[in-house]
Amino acid sequence: MTTSSDRPVPDHVGDPGAVETDLLRFLGKRTGRIWTADADVFGSGGLSSLFAMELVVHLERTYGIAVRGSDLRMDNFRTARRMAALVGRLRGAAGDGAGA
Amino acid sequence: MRESVAAAASAVTALVGDRASGWDLAGRLPEDVVRELGAAGRLAAQIPARHGGAGWSSAESGEFTAHVGSLCGSLRSVMTSQGMAAWTVERLGDPAQAAELLPRLAAGGTAAVAFSEPQAGSDLSAIATTVTVEGDGVLLSGRKKWVTAAAYADVLLVVARMGEDGAVVVVPRSAPGVEVRRVADPLGCRAAGHADVRFDGVRLPLDSLLGGGRQPLPLLVTTALAYGRISVAWGCVGILRACVTAAAEHARTRRQFGRPLAEHQLVARQLADLWTAEQIATRACEYASRCWDENAPDVATAVVLAKYVGAGHAAKGAAAAVRVLASAGARDGHVVARAYRDAQLMRIIEGSDEMCQLILADQALGRR
Repeated sequence: MTTSSDRPVPDHVGDPGAVETDLLRFLGKRTGRIWTADADVFGSGGLSSLFAMELVVHLERTYGIAVRGSDLRMDNFRTARRMAALVGRLRGAAGDGAGA
Repeated sequence: MRESVAAAASAVTALVGDRASGWDLAGRLPEDVVRELGAAGRLAAQIPARHGGAGWSSAESGEFTAHVGSLCGSLRSVMTSQGMAAWTVERLGDPAQAAELLPRLAAGGTAAVAFSEPQAGSDLSAIATTVTVEGDGVLLSGRKKWVTAAAYADVLLVVARMGEDGAVVVVPRSAPGVEVRRVADPLGCRAAGHADVRFDGVRLPLDSLLGGGRQPLPLLVTTALAYGRISVAWGCVGILRACVTAAAEHARTRRQFGRPLAEHQLVARQLADLWTAEQIATRACEYASRCWDENAPDVATAVVLAKYVGAGHAAKGAAAAVRVLASAGARDGHVVARAYRDAQLMRIIEGSDEMCQLILADQALGRR
């Protein structure tokens, strides 16, 4: 899987609220459930590790970021809000080698 | 790029020559064969060019993997381990770790990834190998089983428990407290260097933890296995291609009841089913590689599907090839005998058929 920094990125990527909304839509579409921004996605009765990988790849592809190494901690993925924060942080860092 | 894949395929054909059956019987690959392929960057050809690798796509790497798999399942297994190690470093390591380790893996250094344990096979949540931070370093203790290619590896990537989470620990095989013991007489891929490994209070620097560790264990495992699964799947395509070639050649030339075997309808049906199996496995792998190269979100599922389809068809196809060749192929070391045994191992490693079925059933049920 190549990183996707050369892909067109939606205009609203700088806006955490919009990222959150997109993520909730993606979660809803893929799981058939309705999620809130603070719902624990991977808590008890939550989603599989296969879906965790799907989410990582989705974030990379949609927002032109690379989620690697220490960013793969569960704290960054627990809720849609935290994932949006991760996207915001990695988008901000994309200029200084986060695509490596 | 296509030309370089074709050139690499010709080079590995020459390197292996007619030696694969001898390697299978001896249960060993010559160290220089592994090193030569590694030094050419071919053991893990998807390592990005910026880290000194060949930078092949999954589709390209897959075709090459199938080719090596058609020659020698053991050598292909070593490639799977090396590629999985490189992918794990790329994905779970920090940029500094990737910059340090990947160029080594692209230039002749060898690696293996250790998942299974005496009490943790399909259920990797039962992993008991533990890594803890001790002062300015880490301490690793535990036992791993059936680590493919460990006997050839300079470095072992060890999946361990770290508090409530997981970690992948990079362990030089030469570190004090590491003991590698070959698995005697594996059923298949006999020369792949399977080994059981003990880690007895192994002390390592803090940066041995990929990405600092403390990542979710299931995510670590799924991420690392994704590469292993697609590589095994392409290896199964190789098994099937070797069987098609051997069975077709035999059916064309061997005569019974006054005509070539291929003109007996029961034999022709075996050939049809075998060829069909190869085509189906190839299509499943091509789709998974396309998902990989496009970074498609359902790549994790696509690689499980390809591995399941590939291993199942390789097992059926190899059995058909054994029927067609009969006594001509019924000796250990023969290409169809190796295929027959290797395919059974492919139905076990990187997620058994049954574990794949559970994952695919979740897909059918719309469960994520």
